[in-house]
Formats: sequence, structure tokens, C-alpha cells
Amino acid sequence: MSASREADSAGHRLASGGPAPRVHGDRRGWTRGVLGLALVLPPLLVLAFLVILPAISAVVTTLTPAADAVPAAPLANYAEVLGTRILRTGIVFTVIVTLVAVAAVFCLSYPLALYLRFVRTRMAALLGVLFMVPLFVPVVIASFAMITFLVGHGLVSTVLYHLGIERFPRLVYNATGIVLTEVWVSIPFAVLILGAGLQAIDDALIDSARDVGAGPLRTFLAIILPLNAAPTMITLTLLFIAIFGSFTIPYLVGGNAPQMLGVTMTSYLTQYLRRTESATLAVIAFMIASVVGVVYVASVSRRERAAP
Amino acid sequence: MHAAWFVAVAGLRRALGIGALLALAAFILGPLATLLVWAFAGTWLFPNLVPEFSLKWWVYVLSNADVGKAIRMSVLSAPTATLLSALICIPAAYAFARLEFPGRRLLLLSFLSANAFPKIGLYVSIATLFYRLNLMDTFAGVVLIQLVNTLLFMIWIPTGTFRGININLEEAARDVGAGPLRTFFQITLPIALPGLIVAALFAFIAAFDEAQGSLIVGTPNHITMPVLMYALVLSYPQPVGAVFSVLLSLPSVILLLATQRYLRAGYLAAGYSL
Repeated sequence: MSASREADSAGHRLASGGPAPRVHGDRRGWTRGVLGLALVLPPLLVLAFLVILPAISAVVTTLTPAADAVPAAPLANYAEVLGTRILRTGIVFTVIVTLVAVAAVFCLSYPLALYLRFVRTRMAALLGVLFMVPLFVPVVIASFAMITFLVGHGLVSTVLYHLGIERFPRLVYNATGIVLTEVWVSIPFAVLILGAGLQAIDDALIDSARDVGAGPLRTFLAIILPLNAAPTMITLTLLFIAIFGSFTIPYLVGGNAPQMLGVTMTSYLTQYLRRTESATLAVIAFMIASVVGVVYVASVSRRERAAP
Repeated sequence: MHAAWFVAVAGLRRALGIGALLALAAFILGPLATLLVWAFAGTWLFPNLVPEFSLKWWVYVLSNADVGKAIRMSVLSAPTATLLSALICIPAAYAFARLEFPGRRLLLLSFLSANAFPKIGLYVSIATLFYRLNLMDTFAGVVLIQLVNTLLFMIWIPTGTFRGININLEEAARDVGAGPLRTFFQITLPIALPGLIVAALFAFIAAFDEAQGSLIVGTPNHITMPVLMYALVLSYPQPVGAVFSVLLSLPSVILLLATQRYLRAGYLAAGYSL
């Protein structure tokens, strides 16, 4: 027993605080395995009940044809939803707004993350605090704040009016408003993930690239970008899924038509009481996001495997 | 220093100079500043740069019965969800960090699945399930919706924290005869506490600020503060929404200030370097 404990602890020391080493064949390892599974079971059950089961339930609901449908085609609900022009327009609108917003967040966040990683000035420290502010503002408040800021007689128009500019495109209650607010809300999240990845890049690598004569652009393209590939993929996919599945921002800041899927889904569910159509839209959203989600899980699991 | 070289030559310094800092500050702080001014404005007519200040909307909001009900609902549900989450997730996080069992890595990754679904689609699906289980418009339903938003924080941040603790300390306690429970409560837990506090803080904020799922599941009788915000934004004068926004931000701001010494970049990054 004590020998096994010692071997065990030596293993732990080698792993230096990493996950417990595999202990095969002895009774203690087996008990620990059962204990481990027992401890992780409760949150897994919650996850199964609140994520997996609803998702399956939604798919089953949408594949079950309505009682009065003759003949009962299994994909009738999907045919009906995709045959409705306004819903088709909504899906396309959602994808386009999401892609534009993801691109905008990314183009703002990557330079910011690079700057915070490589510059140690007071201005950088200030930026490092400033960019985190939206993280602590609930999305409902962020949307409302954005409205008061951008609306016809809001602060932006007032300032522009005093600068002599009276005609400019509408900034809110349309796609522009949605994109601006999504960007506002998403910046901290993107900078944090990208920054965590950049932090993990060894300074020595960058120094040695410079020593062999690589220019900054080359250093970025050849060293930083590939080494930060996994966090970049994670950022892009999480941004896509989060913005694609958003409701609050398009509901409050968006226009009446076309609407993003999140708004349509919710009004079908709570106002028109058409649960099946709503669930069908949800499953369609799952399918579009799952293509992106696969990339996400693959990137994360590659990183988890690489971790010590 | 390579850093200065990198930025100076890349031209990043120019691109992200003072101008960019000001633009970013205006973009990030502008909306919040406008909101704050509105909260103390009696009337604010275009194109005046400054409103007439007044506290009359505070009286209006605070004497509103719906507001009182929503505050009670939020104050009851968010701590319940956070506590439940801590109870089930912290032991699990310890297991993920320290015990070896089949499927450990895969199960840990499965907690990302909530993030792999578009949120609103997930809530609509949960609603179709809750209709069958009679959980719509119940306190339990709202708590469950908040709970699903806390899981990731409560699993991943504590797992990272427990992993970061030197196992030698635990082994030493065991070697001098402490049982596993005593070791956990007297050695592991105190060292892990800052990380666990950060996790609980994020879980609470996630639960307290949850709006879209609670709107679907809690309407019409279980309205939390963020859900009431939708109605205030859409059908009341602007100062009402602004005053309520300040009220809604208070718990998060107070908690952040109280726990700011724990909020070192390390723990925050741990939650995000998924």
C-alpha cells in the first residue's frame, strides 16, 4: 500500500500538478475511477436534461407531422418553414449579419490583442482595462445604452449636429445597429481568448525569428498566426454561434423586417403560439451552427490534448 | 526589446495610437455615459448637449409594483442557481482535475456543448420540453435556465484552479495522516478559494443577467429584472429604462468591486482559455 502510494506520488510529481496519472489494475485506482464518475455525474445530468434532451426533443417534435396532415410526410414541417419566403429571407439575413459582425469583431480584436500582448506602456494598461468593460454589462442594458447613444436624437446625432453634420445614415433599428451592438458586446470576449493564446507564445520564438532576419510581417505570418491558430478558430466559431443565436440585440436594436432568426423563433413561440414552427427554426439554426460547432470542438480538443 | 521593435516596425503603434484609443474609448464608454446621463435627466431635448437634471424618474421606478416583484424574483433566483451550481460543480471539478476515470477528457469537453448551440435555439427547445413537464412559468423553470448558463464557469474555472495546486501539498497532508476529506477542506479548499470565488462571481453574473431564456420560460408571472427591462425599453420613456439599468447593474458592480483583488488576469484568462 505504502509502496503504491509512493509510486503514485512520484507520478504526480512528474506530472507537476497535471491530471492524475493512469493507475491501472489496482483496487485504489478503480475506486478512484468510480468516485470520479460519481462526482461528475450531477452536473452531467443537468447538462443532459437542459441541453441534450431538449435538442433531441426539438428534433423529434419537428419530425412528427401534425395530426391533420394528409399525407404525413416526415419533413413536412421543414418544407413548410423553408417554403415561407419571409422565413427564408430571415435565415439569409441572419447569416449575413452574423458574418459581417464576426468579421468586424475579429478585425478590431486581433490588433487589440496583439497590442496588449507586445506593448507595456501606460496606454496599453489603460486599454487593457477599457476593453473589458462590456464584459460586465448585461446584454439588455448594452442594447438599451446603444439605442440611447445612436438613436435619431441621441448623443451621436447631437454631437454630429453641433459639428454641422445633419444628414447621415440611420444607425439603429436596422442591420447597422445590430452589428454595432454585437461588436460592442463581443470585443472583450474575443480579445480575452485571442490574448490567452498569444500569451502562450514563447518570447524566445519571436526573438529567434528576428535574429535570423525575419521582418515583423513575416514573424506575424510565420510564427504568431500559426501558433495562435487554435484560439483563432475557437474565437471565430464561438463568435459566429453567439451572434447567430442572439435574441436580445436584434429584438431591441434591430428593425421590423427582415428580422434575425432569434427574434422570429421567439415570436412564433410566445406570440403566435406556433411551437412546431418555432422548434423547426431552432433545429435549422442548430444545423447551420453545428457545421461551425464541429470546428470549435475539434480546435478545443486539439488544445486540450496538447496541454500538459 | 523585441516588443518595442515588433510594434514600431509593424506600424501597429501608429494604427493603435492616441486616436485609436480615443475612438475605442468613445465607442465603449459613449453608450454607457449616455445611459447614465439619461438616468438622472428629467427631460433631454434635442439638440441640447446637457439635459435638465431631475430624480423624478427614480421615484417613478422605485414606486412601481412590477419593479418590486422583479427585484424579489431576481434576488431569489440568481443566488439559488449559483448555489446549486457550486454544489454540483465544485466536486465534479475536483474530480476532473485530480481523479482518473474513463472518458474524463470527453466528459469535460461535453460542458462546452451548451456553447455549441445557438442560445436562442436552445431556449426554444427547452421551452418545448418544459411545456410537457409543466415547468413553464415556474420558479424552478427560471432557476434551471439560469443554472445552464453557470455550468461552464463553475466547471472550467475550478478545474483549472484545482489543477494548478501543487499535489505535493495534498500528499504531504495525507502522509501525516489526514483523511481525504480533511485534506480537501483544510489544504485544497483554502488554496483554491480565490479561483472558486471568481467562478462563483461569473456564475452569479451569468445567472443574474440571463434575460432571453427567462423571458421565454418565466413569462408572464415569473419576471426577473433583466426580463422586465425588455418591457421598459420597448414601452416606457427613456429615463425609465435608464434608471432601471442602473438598478440592474448595481449587484454586478458591487460584487466586482468587492472581489476585484481575486480578479487577477490569471483566473479570468483561465475561464476564457478554453
